[in-house]
Amino acid sequence: MSTPAEDARRVLVVEDDPHLAAGVMENLRAEGYEVASASDGRAALEWLRNENCALIVLDVMLPGLDGFAVCRTLRDEGNNTPVLFLTARGDPADRVRGLEAGGDDYLAKPFHLKEFLLRVRAILKRWDWYRNASATAATAALSFGGNEVDFRAFRARTWNGEVQELTEKEAMILKVLAEHAGEIVSREDLLERVWGYDVFPSTRTVDNFILRLRKRFERDPANPRHFLTVWGVGYRFLAEGEP
Amino acid sequence: MKATRVFQLTALALIVVSAVQVGWWVFDQRAYTIEKAQAARALYADETRAAQALLAAGAGEARVRELLPDIVVDAGQARLAPAVESALLTEAAHRYRQYAWEGSFFLLALALCIAVIARALRAEARVLEEQDDFLALVSHQFKTPLASLQLSLETMALRPLAPEQARTLIERMLADLARMELMVTQILESVRLERGRVDLRSEPVELAGAVARLLGALEERARGQRIALTSDVAPGLYVLADPLALDVIVRNVLENALAAVSPVGGGSIAVSARAGNGEVELSVRDSGVGFRPADGARLFEKFTRLHPGGGSSHYGTGLGLYIVRRLMQLAQGRVTAESAGVGQGACFVLTWPAAPVPRS
Repeated sequence: MSTPAEDARRVLVVEDDPHLAAGVMENLRAEGYEVASASDGRAALEWLRNENCALIVLDVMLPGLDGFAVCRTLRDEGNNTPVLFLTARGDPADRVRGLEAGGDDYLAKPFHLKEFLLRVRAILKRWDWYRNASATAATAALSFGGNEVDFRAFRARTWNGEVQELTEKEAMILKVLAEHAGEIVSREDLLERVWGYDVFPSTRTVDNFILRLRKRFERDPANPRHFLTVWGVGYRFLAEGEP
Repeated sequence: MKATRVFQLTALALIVVSAVQVGWWVFDQRAYTIEKAQAARALYADETRAAQALLAAGAGEARVRELLPDIVVDAGQARLAPAVESALLTEAAHRYRQYAWEGSFFLLALALCIAVIARALRAEARVLEEQDDFLALVSHQFKTPLASLQLSLETMALRPLAPEQARTLIERMLADLARMELMVTQILESVRLERGRVDLRSEPVELAGAVARLLGALEERARGQRIALTSDVAPGLYVLADPLALDVIVRNVLENALAAVSPVGGGSIAVSARAGNGEVELSVRDSGVGFRPADGARLFEKFTRLHPGGGSSHYGTGLGLYIVRRLMQLAQGRVTAESAGVGQGACFVLTWPAAPVPRS
């Protein structure tokens, strides 16, 4: 077992091609990350049951259990460690499958080293921010309109007594909005903070997530009192509710 | 859609319509025959009644027979003559038989046509699907060594490296290139075999020399992967084969053995040969990943890539052993593979017809 501080710089590389695995690991080490490796899906799951890391670089075409299955298993087990998929298939359908399986980002082989390192840094930065922003008892919890959100457990008890599991993205959006409660937050800001740069090209994605949050937390999602649309700009979150 | 496919589908539709027509014709003719027979019977029934009326009116039997020749009078009772009765039955039976024979003949012929066309359509679809799979697989196979090459080069471009690090990267890149070259060779070989464009010679080939040459070419790579190559092939064993095909076969089996041993961190590959019963056997035994005994035959199928975990590995195109089997078949030889199980190593045995020792 390692300390949380070490975990925050540790990356698990799951790749069955020895050359590619070695290349990726050497570069991550050169960037100052601590690196662990697994050559197939089962070994990766086994490792993750005992150890923690800040990011998983996950090949899709693995022998036995493939990368998507590994990611889905992790999410089902409640493991929210971010995943960057590497795959030889770069078509959009595959990309969508990856993100649906609970991946954070997706890179097609062959990839550019600089882009790979940039994406790794971006994912870790987002998670560093999220972790730091939920570090204290006060910032780990949010209550508004009868809803209680636990940012560390990705869980919420809503106004009607239901317990809801939040996805990482929902929790991150809620975090950004809560940090800027009462202020206008633009869609672009939300995209930048939650997704990094070009994973989702559309600001519509943000709108869809806001709809999901309203459905979860608003008593009347059609007439929201907490997640307000500011036409042409973005959104404003009001913890106490619109008067 | 291609013109031939449109033609095939149209022909298929026409034949199906024809088959339905034949079925309808048989049914219709049968109904018609029944109708005709009933009409004839009704007519004879009228005649019988008429005869009975004549008898009742006091006409003599001879008069009745003269007026109604199909009716016989038996003890004052008129009835249809047995000959006419049996002619009626025979006629109906004859017609039914005719429809049954003709109908089933045409239906059989049409069904045969349908089967032939459907088979052709299915075979064509399978070929197209295989080609698609092949293209997808091949491009996918190339992406991994390409990604590794790009990564190595970009690493060198991105940061200054110590000489030994640079050395490692260069060796890695050379190995990636060798991987791609092998893939290209195997793909070309398999396409040639597939199209039947092979013109194999059959001449005495000295086995020990060929094996030594191939082992020599792989020695350095084997050393790099901590694999001990040993050979025990007595000089003077001649097999009847095409020298180039024999090279391809043995090289592919050796490549397969290397790929099986390198993931377990090194080991051994031992080549040996023996002669007997007019044949020569070459065995390649490795201490690599092995395979489930049940997979022994599947190994030689196209695109089969077995992995210790049971899935497919990134290594190879899945064509190497397929090429080996095809070439061995063409050379009147055979190849078998055995393994005690995953992790137990494997043994590939190539068998050629023995050739007489050339005099020169």
